[in-house]
Amino acid sequence: MNLFDRQTLIVIVSGLSLGILGVLLVLWGNPQNSGICVSCFLENSAGALGLHDNLRMQYLRPELIGFVLGAVVAASIGREFKSRGGSAPLPRLLAGIFLIVGCAVFIGCPIKMFLRFVAGDLTTLTAISGLVAGVWLGLKGLAAGVHFGGSKRQTGGAGVWVPLGFLLLLAFILWPPAFLLQSTRGSAAQAAPVLIALAVGLLLGGLAQRSRFCVTGSIRDSLLMGYRTPLLWGLLAFLFRGFVTSLLTGQFQPGFYGQPGAHLDLLWSFLGMLLVGLISVLIGGCPFRQLIKSGEGDADAGLVVIGMFLGAGLVQSWQIAGTTAGVGLNGKVAVMAGLIFVLINMLLYRERTD
Amino acid sequence: MVGRDRFDILTFSCLLGCVLILGLLLLGGQESKSSVAAIDKALEQQIAYQARVNFLQNLYRPVEDLRLKGQASAALLKLDELARKYPQEAHGEILRGEILLERDAVKQAIDHFVRAVRLNGDYVDQANPLTRRNEIQHLVDTQLPLFTRRARSNPQSQPLQKTLTGLYYLQSRLAGGCE
Repeated sequence: MNLFDRQTLIVIVSGLSLGILGVLLVLWGNPQNSGICVSCFLENSAGALGLHDNLRMQYLRPELIGFVLGAVVAASIGREFKSRGGSAPLPRLLAGIFLIVGCAVFIGCPIKMFLRFVAGDLTTLTAISGLVAGVWLGLKGLAAGVHFGGSKRQTGGAGVWVPLGFLLLLAFILWPPAFLLQSTRGSAAQAAPVLIALAVGLLLGGLAQRSRFCVTGSIRDSLLMGYRTPLLWGLLAFLFRGFVTSLLTGQFQPGFYGQPGAHLDLLWSFLGMLLVGLISVLIGGCPFRQLIKSGEGDADAGLVVIGMFLGAGLVQSWQIAGTTAGVGLNGKVAVMAGLIFVLINMLLYRERTD
Repeated sequence: MVGRDRFDILTFSCLLGCVLILGLLLLGGQESKSSVAAIDKALEQQIAYQARVNFLQNLYRPVEDLRLKGQASAALLKLDELARKYPQEAHGEILRGEILLERDAVKQAIDHFVRAVRLNGDYVDQANPLTRRNEIQHLVDTQLPLFTRRARSNPQSQPLQKTLTGLYYLQSRLAGGCE
């Protein structure tokens, strides 16, 4: 594999940007170790829209909007914006809900998991193992013939609705309506300035669209192709840059105890991320990648995004989300329900030869 | 496939009309001419929170007064009385923790601080009228090394492990993060 071919370089640039900006966003105001976290951003945004009542988790995160709209712009420039969809819509919607369940139980999406890791949070080691195990199991499923079916080109512009929805959310940021909620305390009250957050989101969304960068995709491709996959180099660039920036900005605090936004229910961190890994392989990407794909006109990914928004409301309303105190019964039940959901789908969506 | 016919023209005209009406509604909404005034939910929340802070300060004022007079036992009895009425209220736990800390009952104080922060994370926020961040930070900074040493020399002691876990929890909350 040539490290200097165009695709590999753009993947590496995406990884480097994600690493540096993910850490810098904390310096600019985002919560500690949460410079970029798709699940936290979704929980904050769902709260801002009134989908849950946790007063400490309500803020419409501009980064989230930037990811999708950045992908729309990049896909349009590259003539890659195509409406497509029609593959197992309802399972994908539910998969979106359970993706956030897995993330919320661990407290963070795969990107945040690695940002926590490079900041020295050793509790993430079990979650990383869980994610890798989930991706590996998902690959075993794919090899056995499990898949939701390919999406088809759709007439009627089905793919424009999610980007339009995010455009509406952008309008809510610029001209906040009276019903929009915003925390004045807690982690949602900690935020980078709106324009910086939006610019970072747009940049990362654009880069991720061009590079197809995806955390679970990197792990999947590495398990399949070893070091020959460009995505692995993107992930390594992300980890390296995140680690160096954490070190340089004094955010590197290695240890197992007293880590920000972390709990010691390691088994449930493992299972939460196992669920995320499994689902991500089945639906073709981690939560971040789903946002990017929805910005390319992928209506299937759009349904996952809507599911993730619903999930983000539910994990807060039903007290599924893990906290520093640990994972409650509801969180454990939800993770098991998610694993049951995945296993049922693995049986139902298996292509059998006889 | 039909070309642009009367149906298309009619649909497009209706769409244009709807967009115009929506635009007018949005512009008109700025001037609050609507008969039903929109409720500013964010403001409502802030007012409700301020009212809650005032309520708590009034409710626990007798405890604070007794504490200032040096009557710690009476203050703790008053807290017992309030805890029966409001068993899930974090503010009582915080005050109990502070009083116990003043009386050098460090382990019990830590337990109450942990319970308070679990019930309400506002106590570790920097800019919050209820904040006890500095006190909790000081508690963690001074007690964590001591309890770590004690727990290492007594690895079988369950109460010591519990206190240490509580201190780690407070340390984690002080460190921030998203929850």
